[in-house]
Parts: sequence; structure tokens; C-alpha cells
Amino acid sequence: MSEGLDTVVAVETPEGIVLELRPAGLVVRFYAFLIDWVIRLAVLYGVAMVTVFMGGIGIALWLIIAFACEWFYPIVFELRASGATPGKRACNLKVVMDNGLPVTPAASITRNLLRVADFLPFGFGFAIASMLLRKDYKRLGDIAAATMVVHHQKPGPQPVLADVPPLTPAITLTPRTQAALIALAARAPRLTEERLDELAAIAAPASGDASRSGSRVTMRVLGVAQWALGKRA
Amino acid sequence: MTPLQFEELYAPDWVELELTLERHAAAPSARSISGARFTALYRQTCGHLAIARSRAYPTHLVDRLEHITAQCHQLIYQQREFGMAWLARIIAHDFPVAVRAHGGYVITATLLFLVPTLVMGALVYARPELILSVVSAETASEFDEMYSSSATSIGRLRTVDTDWMMFGHYIRNNISVAFQCFAGGLFGGLGSIFFLAFNGAFGGAIAGYLTGRGLGPTFYSFIVTHAAFELTAIVLAGAAGLRIGHSLLAPGRQTRVQSLIAASRQAVVLLYGVFAMLVVAAVIEAFWSSASWLPASVKYGVAALCWIAVLAYFTLQGRRAR
Repeated sequence: MSEGLDTVVAVETPEGIVLELRPAGLVVRFYAFLIDWVIRLAVLYGVAMVTVFMGGIGIALWLIIAFACEWFYPIVFELRASGATPGKRACNLKVVMDNGLPVTPAASITRNLLRVADFLPFGFGFAIASMLLRKDYKRLGDIAAATMVVHHQKPGPQPVLADVPPLTPAITLTPRTQAALIALAARAPRLTEERLDELAAIAAPASGDASRSGSRVTMRVLGVAQWALGKRA
Repeated sequence: MTPLQFEELYAPDWVELELTLERHAAAPSARSISGARFTALYRQTCGHLAIARSRAYPTHLVDRLEHITAQCHQLIYQQREFGMAWLARIIAHDFPVAVRAHGGYVITATLLFLVPTLVMGALVYARPELILSVVSAETASEFDEMYSSSATSIGRLRTVDTDWMMFGHYIRNNISVAFQCFAGGLFGGLGSIFFLAFNGAFGGAIAGYLTGRGLGPTFYSFIVTHAAFELTAIVLAGAAGLRIGHSLLAPGRQTRVQSLIAASRQAVVLLYGVFAMLVVAAVIEAFWSSASWLPASVKYGVAALCWIAVLAYFTLQGRRAR
């Protein structure tokens, strides 16, 4: 792909295929952190409402829960099937190992204990600096634990292509060009009519309409896209 | 072959794989999934993905195949072993072996902790006013009160008096100290050195001060039992920190990052043990050490047993049978 510009990390599996991981950047991770922080605060506040009536034992219970929230909240959630704290899940993020596999207990513990170092010198200064400087947006704990926080999104529903009659292309189309035409057809419903016409004009040679444009040409280009997909008249 | 034909031909296999993944997500322990069928489908779908990519098939098709294969890959190659067997192996073998494997770091950490303790203790013992360089005058008088022979519960102020509450306090406080000693190692070990020496000097100053005031007997009978677990745990956390610091400073034939990852993977085993030891220490500190009705001789006897047990555990446990 466009090297240097894209932050995609490629991981090769033993089957010889390449999986693409998309590391999550500072801002989305900050949102996830904020959500987790609010959740923890709410839990501690809720617990305090109950334990305040329980005297010394109540304070003890609260201290122990506060301690667990501080250190084990991220670890427990990361080791579940989702591999993410509630905040990360809300932002469609996930913690994985560098090789794309689910995070191991040792790695999760390492990355979360080293958060202490990330917090220094104040306000997660080192974490922010490290995430801004690195292409894979790792904080110090992620570097040591060999983990990565990645975007985790299900593929969207199959695009519905405008129902136009398929048209045999006027020239031989390379696979890349065919893919570009199909991608254009898939984007068509989201584009304004004028912009679609402009883009279709670039692809016009495919339908034998070189240096022409307009909605009729657009229809013909979309027809070629249908042909590339495999529809025949 | 056109994308439509390709999809039509193989979609049933992909759907089967997707359904299997869903079934597994719903009930991870279900044995209804056939491993042979699953892996065969997975390998086949990997092939489909490679074909779809090389023929530049539509994005949605490639995305779908990528999603399926990524999920299968995670499921097949995941390393998630925890549970009672994992825990038992760490206690019986991994932790003590890791302590011995990090012997040099453990000795260094012990010295980094112990030397400031003794120096500061001797200094404050000789010149009690030096305690004010470590804590404020009010804190010093609080310590006087906590360890006075008339205290109902040693090691704490009269205002905070339930054992459970102190347990919560100790566990939070001690574990934060230990984890700081570890995480500080990420800065070339400097953080670990600082936290070890600082905590050592602080403890030494308090000990020297109280000894000078003639409160030694209550103080030492209070700390000696839980110290077997607490101080060793903090030293071990510091040793783990020194290990990762050293891996950064002297990575050998690896890159610094590779060296750090390898060192962290081994050092984290020490942290499992540190955590367990600090829980034990907090229980003892809250419920046993503070009891003023126990005669000092009983406390020293139990403390001696604890120290012997801890040291024997580190030196003997997990060795291969001859």
C-alpha cells in the first residue's frame, strides 16, 4: 500500500497470508481511557454509597475495591474474549500481541504494571510522547509487553450497487482497474451526482466514452463495473 | 473467474466458518466444534484470501475474508493458559526458579535497599534530629505514639483502629510501592534504584529514630514478621525493575526493544510472586503484627519461622529432583 503514509502493520501468519492490523492513535485511546476512568469512578462512588454505612469494615472493603479497580480492572477485561476494557470496546479498540494474537496474561500484566512508568513525569507524559513518536502508537508498557492497541471493526454490510444493465468494456481492463471501477460503483450512493459524474469521466475510456462526461456516461461506466463483478447481459 | 462466481462457489464454506466462530464465541468451552473440519476450512479460506487479493477482487469480499481469517487465526494460535494448574505451576516452580535465575539482580537490589537502611538508621540513631530531614515533626511524633508501649494496637494511631481497614490500606500502599520499584526500571533502572534506596532510607530513618527513643522492642516485634514477606517482595520487584533496566542499557546482540521484550517476559514472573507475597504481608501486618497482647517472644519465634520459610522457598523450591 502507500508506504510511509499508512500506519497499517502487516503480520504474516503460518499459513502464508498477511493480516493487516490498524494501530489506534492517541486521540481514540484517550477517549477510551476517559470512558474507563468514568466507569471506575462511578463504581467507586457506588460502592462508597453502600460501604459508608458499614463502618471500619466498609472502609476496608472500599479500599480493597479501589485497589482492585486501580490495578486489575484493565487486566481482567483484556484477558476476556473481547481483549478490551469497556472503554476500548466502546471505541472499537482491542489489545493484541504484536503478531495479532490475543494478549497473553503475562503481556497484559506487564503492560498494565508499566503504566506507572508511562504516567511519569506527569499526566501520562511519557505515554503521550511515545505514542506520538512511534508509527504503531505504542506506549512504553506496550513496547515492553510486545502488545498493540488496534482498531477492531467488523466489515460493513455488502454494498448495494446501483442496478444498471451490465456493459462489456471497450478496452481490456487490468484487475486493478476492475477493482477501481467496482469500488467507484460501491461508493456511488454516497457521492453527489456532480462528483460521481466527474469521477466517472476519468474512468470513461473503459466504456469507450473517452473525453466525454455526463450522467449517460456515468451509467455506462457503472455498467462496466457490473460486468467486472461478473454480471453479463 | 469473476468475483460473483468466486463468491457463489465458496460462500457456503465461509458461512460455515463464520457460524463456527459465532458458536465458539457464544460457548467457548463447547466441544461440538470439529477441530479438523475447522482448520481445513481455515486453510482453504486463507487460500481464497490470497486469490482474492492477487486478483484485486472487490473490497467488501477481501474485507470479509480478512475478517474471517483474522478471527480463526486468533482462535487457533492463542496462548491462554490460566486457571488453577497455571497458578500451581507458578507457585511450585516458576516463581522460585525465576528468583534464582535473577540472583545477581536480587543481590544488587538487596544491597540498594539495605545499605541506605543501615546508613540512615545509624545516622538518625546517632543524631535523632536528622529524622526531620525525612519526615515532618508531626509525623515523627505520630510514630512515637504508634509504637509507645501503652498503645492498644501497635503500628497505628488510635484514630484508625480496625484491622480490616488497615489491611486495605497496607495492601494498596505496599503494592503501589512495589510496582513503582518495578516500573521505574524502564528508565535504565534509575527509577528502581531510586525507589529501592528511598524506601530503604525512609525505613532506616524511622527504625533509627524509634530505637534511639527506646521504642525499639515494640517496633521490631511489630515489623519483624511481615517484613519477611514485605521487604523481600519489594526487593524482588526492584530486582525485576533492574533486570529490564539492564536489558535496555546492555541489549547484547539484540535491538534494545527485542531485549526489553525478552527481559520483561521473564521478569514479570517475579511480579506474580511479589503480588502474592504482599497480600500475605498485608494480612500479617493487619491481623498479627499489630496485636499487642501477644508476648514478644511468640512474635519473634513466628517471625524466625517465616524468614526461614521464605528463604528456603527461594533457595530450594522447584529444583529438579536428583
